[in-house]
Amino acid sequence: MDQGINRRGFLKLSAAGSAVLATGSGLALLTGCSSNDGPATGYKHFRQQDVDLLTPLVGAVLGSALSDAGATAEDGMKAFDDLLDGGMPGTRGALFQVLDLMQLGAARWYITGSWASFADQSDDELQQTLANWSASERSLSRMAFKGLTQPIYMAWYVKPTGARTTGYPGPPQKIVA
Amino acid sequence: MQDLTTLTINVKDPWKDPANGWDVLDGRTITDNRTLEADVIIVGTGAGGGVSAEILSQRGLKVILVEAGKLKSSDDFKLDEGAAYRDLYQEGALRATKDAGMTVLQGRTVGGTTVVNWTSCFRTPHETLQYWHDEFGVQGLSRAQMDPWFQQMETRLKVEKWAMPPNANNDVMKRGCDNKGWHSALIPRNVSGCWNIGYCGMGCPTNAKQSMLVTTIPGALDHGSTLIHSAQADTLIIEGDSVTGVRVRPLNDDKVPTGATVTLKAKTVIAAGGGIQSPALLMRSEAPDPNGLVGKRTFLHPTSFAFGIYDKEIAPYYGAPQSVYSDEFTFKHGVDGPAGYKMEMMPMHPGLSGALMGGFGERARDEIERLPNLAASIAMIRDGFHDDNQGGTVELRDNGEPLLDYPVNEYLLDGTKRAHLTMLEMQFAAGAKEVRPSHADAGYYKSWKAARDGVAQLDYAPVITGLGSAHVMGGLTMGADESRCTVNSDGSYKHLNGLYVIDGSVFPTSIGANPQLSIYGLSARNASALADKLKA
Repeated sequence: MDQGINRRGFLKLSAAGSAVLATGSGLALLTGCSSNDGPATGYKHFRQQDVDLLTPLVGAVLGSALSDAGATAEDGMKAFDDLLDGGMPGTRGALFQVLDLMQLGAARWYITGSWASFADQSDDELQQTLANWSASERSLSRMAFKGLTQPIYMAWYVKPTGARTTGYPGPPQKIVA
Repeated sequence: MQDLTTLTINVKDPWKDPANGWDVLDGRTITDNRTLEADVIIVGTGAGGGVSAEILSQRGLKVILVEAGKLKSSDDFKLDEGAAYRDLYQEGALRATKDAGMTVLQGRTVGGTTVVNWTSCFRTPHETLQYWHDEFGVQGLSRAQMDPWFQQMETRLKVEKWAMPPNANNDVMKRGCDNKGWHSALIPRNVSGCWNIGYCGMGCPTNAKQSMLVTTIPGALDHGSTLIHSAQADTLIIEGDSVTGVRVRPLNDDKVPTGATVTLKAKTVIAAGGGIQSPALLMRSEAPDPNGLVGKRTFLHPTSFAFGIYDKEIAPYYGAPQSVYSDEFTFKHGVDGPAGYKMEMMPMHPGLSGALMGGFGERARDEIERLPNLAASIAMIRDGFHDDNQGGTVELRDNGEPLLDYPVNEYLLDGTKRAHLTMLEMQFAAGAKEVRPSHADAGYYKSWKAARDGVAQLDYAPVITGLGSAHVMGGLTMGADESRCTVNSDGSYKHLNGLYVIDGSVFPTSIGANPQLSIYGLSARNASALADKLKA
């Protein structure tokens, strides 16, 4: 095994990563990216900073799943917001903690491999970020990737408009007398 | 192409019949403090609570059932995946273990998980019951002693082997196992007049599924029970060394407390919230737990997946979701050797499919666009039968909500790798053109040889190894061994008078099969014994 790579990896982790992990949530609070601003206009749960952060990511994750349905990244983001309706306050709180952390460039770098905000990345750059992020061996990166992409998919494909683009014809009709 | 969208379903909803005379309180409308009394309070209305309520009320005992979820019945079951997750599942189907390693599908509605399960009914394996006896000192629950109780519940819930041809998804299991010379058999299901449409997981729209919602809960209400739904059991009322009631917080439509408190008083309280919820109730209540065992040994069946693509249409979203299983590998290495797993198929509706397939961008899109030709097999690992495997631990968030910490360790990862290989081999034997195991780094393999070589290269680590479970068991371990158990074999809690636990949380290990019939049978046994005791 290459000790140099291991050592470099360790130095990277200790210099930036663990500092972010230890103080990320606190920093997020100090920088005003905390969770008490209330939902954004048109949303029931996501706050404005979540909408700004995540909408480009939702667009990149879902890709042509949206365009094939004539939908936009914002529609995907609203579907995610609807999905959160079913969650408990604690479920949403855990998600908001990750999102607060990802407001910070250092945390985005640690988690996704890229400092730049998703909104400042081109479509190709976002796909590359997702590729790097999904290949990361850091457990926090893996948790965040799964914790965000899994509900994004569920949220979009439970919508009849999203579901129909998979080849699923749809359910029988329920008639209530 | 199969297309059921022109089929219309128009059935009567027994809950909407005013002539039923049932005493049902909706927590959403309760804004004043009030106190109610009964002989027995049952917290939870799933497999354990429903069965207990019917048996106790038939014996003339006044029962109050408390349910945190809402009352939803067949008129509400519109076969809409999103609405089902929001209304019928714990945390809106967003529940996962603490490190996101496993997704957890568990019911939260009147009738509990029985309203959304896929109707598979298996008696508890002999090996599992014997292990409980040998390792935990569980008494009176040998298979011979339990069989009459299973028989009773199979009759009550119309459990029979599925008589119609399996859907194309389940036929993959039959064909694959036949071609390999492996065991497979038809699954017994708790349905009556099933329409074979495939929406068991969204609440049965035809009332064919014999869930607690249409069987034992109506039975209990017919015998004078009271149901309070949309009401969270917050804490047990403990006086000295006895439980004397339950403090309940009614919840509004958004699951937020209305601010009122309903105080329920009774000499007997049954915790029947199921795994995760029942231990959490005791933890919030600071119930005596001298050995620190409450919430420990909570088990899932850590379940991996394999997605196969076929030349012909599979339509994995239509038809009875589970009708063929294989026990070829369940006890292959004995009861307590390397992980064994039971194989079944799972229904694939678009939302769940997207969540489980994962990935991102165009590759994920290409995968889900092949949904009509996709078959999905699952392998459920028996957990808790090995010294290395203590399962998960229930924790409380700051606001009292439960959270399951469940490390995915090497034992489970080794079992998952073998389960992946088995499922890949089975699906290729069934004629799959391409198969992918549930691993973030795996693509579709085009032959069994390529799959075997590919899996050998994968890094089996938590989170990137795709795992989930729809079965939550344990957390309030039953048995005679005080150093490992909190509940006696009759369901009584060891450290408080008047408290019983009658649900899947008493199981000392996972079951090794879909657990509903195990819960029904044990609940029938222990509720009947409790009725004898209370009526003596």
